[in-house]
Parts: sequence; C-alpha cells; structure tokens
Amino acid sequence: MMMIAFTIALGASLATAMLSVMMDVGDKINQELKAYGANITVVPKDTSVVSELYDIGDENITDSYLKEDELGKIKTIFWTFNIVDYAPFLRTRAALESGDEVTVCGTWFNHHMDLPTGEELDAGVMSLRSWWDITEGDWPDEQAADSLEIALVGSQVAEKEGISAGDTLHVTGPAGEASLTVAGVFDAGGDEDDQIYVPLDTAQALGDLEGKVDSIEVSALTTPDNELAEKAARDPGSLSVSQYETWYCTAYASSICYQIEEVITDSVASPVRQVADSEGQILEKTQLLMILITFLSMIGAALGICNLVTASVMERSQEIGLMKAIGAHNGAITGLVLSEILCTAVIGGIGGFFAGIGFAQIIGRTVFGSAVALRPMVIPLVAVLVVIVTLIGCVPAIRMLLNLRPTEVLHGR
Amino acid sequence: MAKKRQMYFRMITASLLRRRSRMVIALLAISIGAMILSGLVTIYIDVPRQMGAQFRSYGANMILTAAGDSISQEDVDAAADLIGPSDLVGLAPYRYETVRVNDRPVMAAATDMEGARKTSPFWRVDGDWPAASGEIMIGKNVARTYNLKVGKRMTCTFAPETEEAAAGGTGEEEVVMDNYKDFTVTGILDTGGNEEDYVYMLLPDMEELTGEPTLYDICELSVSAASGNLSAYADRITESVPAIHARLVKRVTESETTVLTKLQALVLLVTVVVLALTMICVATTMTAVVAERRREIGLRKALGASNASIVAEFMGEGLVLGAAGGLLGALLGFMFAQAVSMNVFNSSITLMPWLLPVTMAASVLVTGLACLIPIRSATDVDPALVLKGE
Repeated sequence: MMMIAFTIALGASLATAMLSVMMDVGDKINQELKAYGANITVVPKDTSVVSELYDIGDENITDSYLKEDELGKIKTIFWTFNIVDYAPFLRTRAALESGDEVTVCGTWFNHHMDLPTGEELDAGVMSLRSWWDITEGDWPDEQAADSLEIALVGSQVAEKEGISAGDTLHVTGPAGEASLTVAGVFDAGGDEDDQIYVPLDTAQALGDLEGKVDSIEVSALTTPDNELAEKAARDPGSLSVSQYETWYCTAYASSICYQIEEVITDSVASPVRQVADSEGQILEKTQLLMILITFLSMIGAALGICNLVTASVMERSQEIGLMKAIGAHNGAITGLVLSEILCTAVIGGIGGFFAGIGFAQIIGRTVFGSAVALRPMVIPLVAVLVVIVTLIGCVPAIRMLLNLRPTEVLHGR
Repeated sequence: MAKKRQMYFRMITASLLRRRSRMVIALLAISIGAMILSGLVTIYIDVPRQMGAQFRSYGANMILTAAGDSISQEDVDAAADLIGPSDLVGLAPYRYETVRVNDRPVMAAATDMEGARKTSPFWRVDGDWPAASGEIMIGKNVARTYNLKVGKRMTCTFAPETEEAAAGGTGEEEVVMDNYKDFTVTGILDTGGNEEDYVYMLLPDMEELTGEPTLYDICELSVSAASGNLSAYADRITESVPAIHARLVKRVTESETTVLTKLQALVLLVTVVVLALTMICVATTMTAVVAERRREIGLRKALGASNASIVAEFMGEGLVLGAAGGLLGALLGFMFAQAVSMNVFNSSITLMPWLLPVTMAASVLVTGLACLIPIRSATDVDPALVLKGE
C-alpha cells in the first residue's frame, strides 16, 4: 500500500507540475518576447502619413504632436496590466560643434512614474531597447540630479565625431542649445546608431517643443490575433454589440491600440506587425509544444499508476480467495478493494500535489526567474485525474478477483 | 557448463512466457518509461532547430550594405554562396529610388518579391503580391494619401538626377523629359512600420523606369543559425566580398538568443523532472512485480539454490525485459516526437539513431536497479518463514 501511495504521489506531482507550467508558459514566454521591443506605435493622426514621407528630404517637417501630459493615461486603459513598458520619442535635428547635423532624439531612459492607481512603473528605452549594446560608459540615470544634461550617443556618431563616454557635447538645436555629458555609447545594429538620445525635456528645449512628443512606443502583452481581431482591426464599427464586447475585453493588439487611441488625443496607434505577429506565432507553438509534452507525461504517469494498482491487487489473490471461501459477496469484495485503493490514492494525491507545486516553482525559478502562478483550475483537474486513473487501474485486477475460484487459490496455485 | 547455461535461458524464457499477464504489465511500464525518455530527449535536442525556424518569422537577421556605392548581383550571389542553401531561409535585395506620384515624392523600392516574402513573413498584404511587369504593391499610408485601392492605376515618374544636374542652366533645349511608367495596384501593404510609406515594384520595372541597370542599395537576409555562427557568417562575408559590409540586425539576433535559451532551459528542466518521475514509476512497478515472487524465491532457497544464482536469474529476466521494453519504447518515443513535431512545427523531426542504444541501456539499467532491491530483501529472508506464508 505504501508503494501505491508513493506511485500515485509521483504521478500526481508530475501532473500538477506539468499542468501548472503548461498553463503559465504563455505568460512567461510572452514576457520573454518583450525583448523584441515595442509591438505598438502611437503617432499623431494628421502627420502619420506626411511626416515620414517627407523625411526623405533632409528637413524634418512635423507639424502635429502628441501631448506629453497625456502619457500617463496609457496606464489607465482597460488592459492597463498588459502594458509592460512604453516610452515617448521626440526627434529634432541639431548641430554639433563640428558643424555636422545629427538627429537628437528625446526619450525616457528609466522614467519613474507614480500612477494615479497607486502603482509605480519604471518605463523607458533601457528596457524597451534591451538589445542595445552599451559599448562604453553606462545607461544614463534619469533619476540622478543632473539628469537633464546627459546623452547616449550612437556608435556611428561616436566614431565619426570622436566622442567617448565622459566627454561634454555642445549641441545647437533649432530653438536652443545645450551642453551634454556623454553617459555612454551604444551599438544598436540599426538606424539608431546615427542618433543621439537625450532626456525628453532636453530635446523639447532644443526644438522649442515644450510638452510635445512625436511618437510613443508601447510594449504590451497581447493575445494572438484571430478572425474576430482581424475583422475588428479593419473597422470596429462592423462588429455586433456582443462581438465588440468580446473584442474590447480581449487583449488583442488591435483592441489595445483602439483603447490607446481613446485616451491619447488625435492619435493613431498601430501594431508593429514584425513584433506582434511573430510573437503570436511563437507563443502558439510554445504552448502547443508544452501541451503535448504534458499530455505525454500524464499518459506515462497514468499508465504507471494503473500498472502498479493492478499488480498489487493481484498480489492479494490469496486473501480475496479466503474471503470468498467464507462467503463474501463479489460486491462486498469490490467495495473493499476500491475503497482501500481510493483512500491510498487520496493520501498519495494530496502529498503529490504539494510536491508538484514545488517542482513547478523550481522550473519557474530556474528558467524564468519568477514563480509559476498556481491556477485553482489545477486542483480539480489533478483530483479527477488521480481518481479516474486509479479506478481504471483497478478494473483488470477486480475482474480477475471476481473470477477467482477460492479452492484453487487457497490450494496455492 | 553449456547445459547449465541452457537451463538458465530456459528458466528465464519460461518465467517470462508463463507469467504472461505480470510480464506484460512490467513490459508496458518499462516501454512507457523508455518512450518518454526517447521522445522527450528527441524533442529537447530538436527544439532549438525547430524553434529557430519559427523565429525567422521576425524577418531578416542580417543586412548587407554596400561598402562602396552599391551592390551588384554577383556580390549578392557570392554572399549567398558563403552561407549555403541549407541555412539561408530567404534573401531579398532592395533598390531604393525616390519617384514622384502626382508630383509628390514617394520612396520606391524594387525587390525580388519571392525573397521579400521569405525575409519579411510578417508583411500583411491586402490583395496580391506583384507578380508581373506593371504591377505594384503600395504601403497603407501611400494608399491613404492618394486614395488608391487594389486594381486602380497609378503613374510613377522618375527624374534622372545626373542628367538633370548636367542640364542645369545650359538652356531650354537640354531639358530632359522625366521617365514615367503606369502601374496597376495589386496589393496594399500593412506592416505597422516605415514600409507603409513605400511602394514596391519588381526589379525589371525599376530598371525600365530609371533607365539604369540594377544595382542594389541593401540586401536583407534571413539566416537560420545560432548567434555565434551568424556573426561568423557576417565576418566571412565582409572579408571575402569586398563590395559588401554585412551587419547583424541586433534587435532580432540578440532577442532570439535570449528567448531561445530560456525555451531550451524550460524543455530541459521539464524533461529532467518528467524523466526522474517516470523512472521512479518504472522502478516501483518492477519492485512490485518482483516482490510478489517471494514465495518462489523461498522455495528455491529451500531446494538449495545459492543467493548468487537467484540474483543472476532475476537480473537476467529484468535485463531481457528492460531491453525489450527499451526497444519498444524508443520506437514509440520516436513516433511521439514525430507526431509532436508535425503538429507543432509542421516539419519532420531529425532521426537520432544513437538514441536507440542509449534508451535501451537506460531502461536496462533502471530495470536492473529496480529488481535488485526486492531480490536482495527476498534472499535475506529465511525460506522456512517465507514458505509458511509470513
């Protein structure tokens, strides 16, 4: 009996651990995929077309902006908990001492926000651009006292102008000038290498654009798109009331975009397909993979338990034979065996459940560095599974016991 | 001696065959264990490859830029040869020119559409990709600006820059007519990025429009390789093709490494936990199967069998069972891994022949160890007590 309890405990712990990990793997991988950066960009309504088209020339004509003071509202939308990170950008051209013009981009590095909900959030490019390689110096610290006079310089600019970390940089913008301390040099492997990043306020002062932002990048946890989401993305007006509710209350990239447009005046939010679509695909694959592995291990555990239960009941043929010989009914014997086994299963199952939670936490901690959330759903699932598997395991054994002839067994055959 | 060995084999086979139901149970347990072992190990080893292919949906991870003015087709071919067809998922060379539509400048890109489909699988095209000459795909923003829809016609004009500059100020008769070409819009591109501001046409059309032979500005590559190999490829291309400077798209490569490492660690840990638990399950089943034969062991001892010969016989049985179960399980496990791979990744799994002996060895080992414990305790018992039924 100890052995059965032990095996059932093993099976139950396996089931608990795998189910917990399986149910949580989507969220965890989604978090990891945030390394790919923003999956939603927000730009002003009128200029979303014109500004980038005319960017072909060297003049940067942008005449409408988003408002900086509305940035906090992004954390007030329906899916606020799915907004992991975001940062505003304001690009302006400025001349360096050598006379060369560069793009100076104002943004948040590690901006600290106290939200109206009482939450705190550190957002900015430091986490949004996790692939940037700081080749010299360090990330600028916005929380530090001299936070406005710092800059992060792209590797191409640094190479061309001979800038290194610790230097002082004089830049002259269209409406002002500033001398910045170079906190670090980064290598992004893209266009950003030709730019200089400064705190948002500094860029606003350079371009006389107080309180203005020209784009926002948002990193949000999203659900992979389905037909409904695609239909809604084309025109939310085409949905019926119930469809609209389903869509609005699901974390599709398109519904989060829609909700951002609701809180930011005159804005257009659109999913970055490269990130949003690929994320969905990889999430689906990972989840499917985990489901199949879970399925396999459950089958393994179930057969293991069945096997052992059968083996151990058969072992008791002599005892059962004796019972039959002194006049026990088939029903009574079946009831006795079943209740014994089920008692053992319950004890083993409870022990295994807690061991399984432990296993799941080990997996979560080692792989993702965070605890695996325990879903209440797991408890009934494991309980039902253990009971069913144990009962099925008893079936062949009980059939054999019922066909047992007491004389033969007691005789020792 | 030969007779003794013959007897030994007869005992083992007879015990396996006569006690069919118990042996089927044991065999089942072992093969399930072996199946999980071989299935999970196959998946664990194959996951990075399969997942890596999935990660190519993030698009190009290497960019070839011109070290000089531009890249020729030969340079691109040379670079592609350095990578080899097995790792190269897609290659799309781009040529960018500013054209005018209704007198407003629009960036026009010419590329190989088949290649672009592979390097940018996330592009969502409303309509069709351009396939024939005179067809054009336009970005969503361009479509909105000019109010164009699929099937509408548009005209692109191109002012040859060099001739215009040469013609500057030399009199009216020198003015060069702008080149123009009519296009039919076949698709509208939705990417959420800058691409929505561009128009895309086929390379021959661009050649016709500009009147200049095709030279590329940039070439996007999607390469399926680990990040270390990827930078090795980039270095090799930069070194051996002088006209090209190869760069990695850090955003894609770095992030891919991070996520893939986590994924592999996850599968590894799950594999280890599942394996450990299944092996214990197998061991307990074997222990139960052997433990119920205490009476038999007692009888043999009473008849004068030495402990060693009893251990040898039971171990022999265990090993035969272990090997058979391992073989069966390895095959089942491969089938399972194949089913998972087909379902999840739509591609076949790589067969790893070395896994078969490893699985068999592991199951023999586990079975042997599992038998050893109950046999030891059984041989220690006084035969008289066992036979009496206590």
